[in-house]
Amino acid sequence: MRNVRLFYIKTGRMKFLSQLDMNRLMTRVIRKSGLPVWYTEGFNQHIYINYAVPLSLGFEGLYEIMDIRITDDEITPENIAKQLNSAAPDGIEFLRAAKPVKPTVEIAFAEYELIFPDEDNGIYKDLREFLSQESVVCLKKDKKGRMKEFDIIPKIKKTEFLSNKVLLVLSAGNEGNLNPSLLLSAFFENTGREPVFCEVKRLMLFDRELKPFV
Amino acid sequence: MDQKEFEKLLLTVQKPGRYSGGEINSVIKDKEKVDVRFAFCFPDTYEIGMSHLGMKILYSLFNEREDIWCERVFAPWVDFESVMREKSIPLFALESRDSIKDFDFIGFTLQYELCYTNLLNMLDLAGLPLRSADRQSLSPIVVAGGPCCCNPEPVADFVDLFFIGEGEEVDLEVIDLYKEFKKKGGSKRDFLREAAKIEGVYVPSLYDFSYGEDGTITSVTPRDGAPAKIRKRIMRDMDKSYYPEKFVVPFIEIVHDRAVQEIFRGCIRGCRFCQAGFIYRPVREKSADTVNRQAKALCESTGYDEISLSSLSTSDYTQLEPLLNKMLEWTEPEHISLSLPSLRVDNFSKELLDKINHIRKSGLTFAPEAGTQRLRDVINKNVTEGEIFRTCKTAFEGGYTAVKLYFMLGLPTETDEDLKGIAELGQKIVDLYYSLENRPKGKSVSVSISVSTFVPKPFTPFQFEPQIEKEETERRQKVLKYSNTCKKVNLSWHDSSTSFLEGAFARGDRRLCGVLESAFRKGCKFDGWNECFDLDKWSEAFKENGIDPLFFSARKREYDEINAWDHIDCGVTKEFLIREHEKALAAVTTPNCREKCSACGAACYGEGVCFEKR
Repeated sequence: MRNVRLFYIKTGRMKFLSQLDMNRLMTRVIRKSGLPVWYTEGFNQHIYINYAVPLSLGFEGLYEIMDIRITDDEITPENIAKQLNSAAPDGIEFLRAAKPVKPTVEIAFAEYELIFPDEDNGIYKDLREFLSQESVVCLKKDKKGRMKEFDIIPKIKKTEFLSNKVLLVLSAGNEGNLNPSLLLSAFFENTGREPVFCEVKRLMLFDRELKPFV
Repeated sequence: MDQKEFEKLLLTVQKPGRYSGGEINSVIKDKEKVDVRFAFCFPDTYEIGMSHLGMKILYSLFNEREDIWCERVFAPWVDFESVMREKSIPLFALESRDSIKDFDFIGFTLQYELCYTNLLNMLDLAGLPLRSADRQSLSPIVVAGGPCCCNPEPVADFVDLFFIGEGEEVDLEVIDLYKEFKKKGGSKRDFLREAAKIEGVYVPSLYDFSYGEDGTITSVTPRDGAPAKIRKRIMRDMDKSYYPEKFVVPFIEIVHDRAVQEIFRGCIRGCRFCQAGFIYRPVREKSADTVNRQAKALCESTGYDEISLSSLSTSDYTQLEPLLNKMLEWTEPEHISLSLPSLRVDNFSKELLDKINHIRKSGLTFAPEAGTQRLRDVINKNVTEGEIFRTCKTAFEGGYTAVKLYFMLGLPTETDEDLKGIAELGQKIVDLYYSLENRPKGKSVSVSISVSTFVPKPFTPFQFEPQIEKEETERRQKVLKYSNTCKKVNLSWHDSSTSFLEGAFARGDRRLCGVLESAFRKGCKFDGWNECFDLDKWSEAFKENGIDPLFFSARKREYDEINAWDHIDCGVTKEFLIREHEKALAAVTTPNCREKCSACGAACYGEGVCFEKR
């Protein structure tokens, strides 16, 4: 038995799937693909899947990661990806399978692309201004469900404003994850703007050194 | 419709996965390369419609044909409906996202009476006139099938053509006829006349109804060569009957989120309240080999880790033990759990329990339906108290601690004693649990009793019976409530006002079409959903149309009255129903089809249990 890390994309109609839906789908895709995978041995046996950083409903992802365990030592990474793709619906594509290099707890940052398709350039200017503040405190539920004050500015590692989109590198993973929807709602609230539609795409997951996570 | 714009809107509503499409095994075709586009509409939410086996069978069957593209359509939930109306998005099919207005067929499956307003709402959302007479062009043809079509009259003005009985053959015959008409540019009128000649097709506009002074039907007259009796279609050989190898696998969780393998149609029992037990006769089984092969293919193509063996009474399957042995050979190593719904208390063995126990242990559900032996004899639920106890004992000793029991309230001849009997039965089961030496250690027992309100249905021996009225239903619910004194017995019952509506539509005639339209205009939809059902609007709708719903539901019907469904022939004869009704009133039971033939009439199909060796 070996651990296998799968890199995949989630785009198109698949963005309407919540993490729960996604887990159900992946279980079925793996079963349908016929891959020899490891099942947990508890009371309620299920396929072992570990998602690196779950993606919110509505977002697309180009560098998604999940780990599974394969019970057959012969099958090649290429064939694992191929077999999974044969069972996957449109919008899910397995890019490659590989031996995990680092544990997923070492994921520290994620890069997102934000596009406001119905707005002019003004909104990007306002967002830039908003994010250049010293501190933006907003409320977020902690793990115990209590509302907690949370400064989003230190969680923003990098911003890059292009003509009709913005690229953000935000803290990600177990500690101090910043979801772009929280950033967006703070933006709309603090600037008194009417909330508008924003397309969000996660482009990359990074480790602490800002290297692509593998 | 702009796809980006559409997807943006989806992100503003609950469960966008209901409308997104793109599921595994959904079928995409090139619309330029098909002759017939069929919108298969289920008039309820995605989660309910996607759980329905009939739709899965017909969806795959139609799509096997290169010239047909069948797509799925569900009733949008109220949040998305208001978005659709605001943005002028017409009702669309999930696969292509095309408006169904331009399809060749719009087909509804009618599973329960309380979905009728959704049928109207969906036609309206599609941008079509509601009434058949107002849709003059050949397409779209609005068709309907499903169990409610055994009395199609309450929706007769809206639907062009009904399929009576099982659809696998007759649907395709009608589609082929339509293709001819489309090619030669024929008219809708001529098409319907021609279609009415196909066995199992009912074209309501070809029948004239007349009524007497007391409001009852005096005659039903067919026109233009339509048959006086419309005979139900069935699949004679279930081993040769089409069954899909693939199911569309939904992304969001649905009601029955598993593979479903049909094992037989019909039911040998003949419980007198049960419409399905009569309209699906005769019983026709699939062989264990067929079931095993089909089930395996389904699991492989869907990735499901659960499969249920579906029928009206699964423990009556004659080859259940060998089938389970065969299936366990591959389900266990593949981590697939088997579920067996619809078990009966009288043939539930320890061996069977052990087999289910191989995989997963959840609650057990049984349906004694009535609280006393007398009333169980009236309804021909041939189950004794001893059998119920024996089953519970087996289950408890097998490690179960929760039992769920289904009952009905308002059955013909029911007295307060029968209601008290329900609570007493619950108490006795609790006592039984604590009397067992080898019950699960240290665990408490829970007995859930769910009581629904009985609604007399067409094609049952109780079709002649009045439904009890709302006040009386509520009084009986109180009797039941106060007779339960045990904390381990958890009692729940259904709202009586929806049963009242269901009762009127179950045995109503086409004079209800106006009421239905008025109710729809007032905003009634999703009547089966408590959060949507609005009794006041319905009462107004009945009043405005000068119709008393109790005329259809709460009136005793004489044997010689012409019922709205008497021109539909589902094999079972009216004479048999009358005989059964008389036996019911005398509390005399009827043996099941395997014990003794009771000459119900279904043998006319020349197949199934009627010809098994006894």
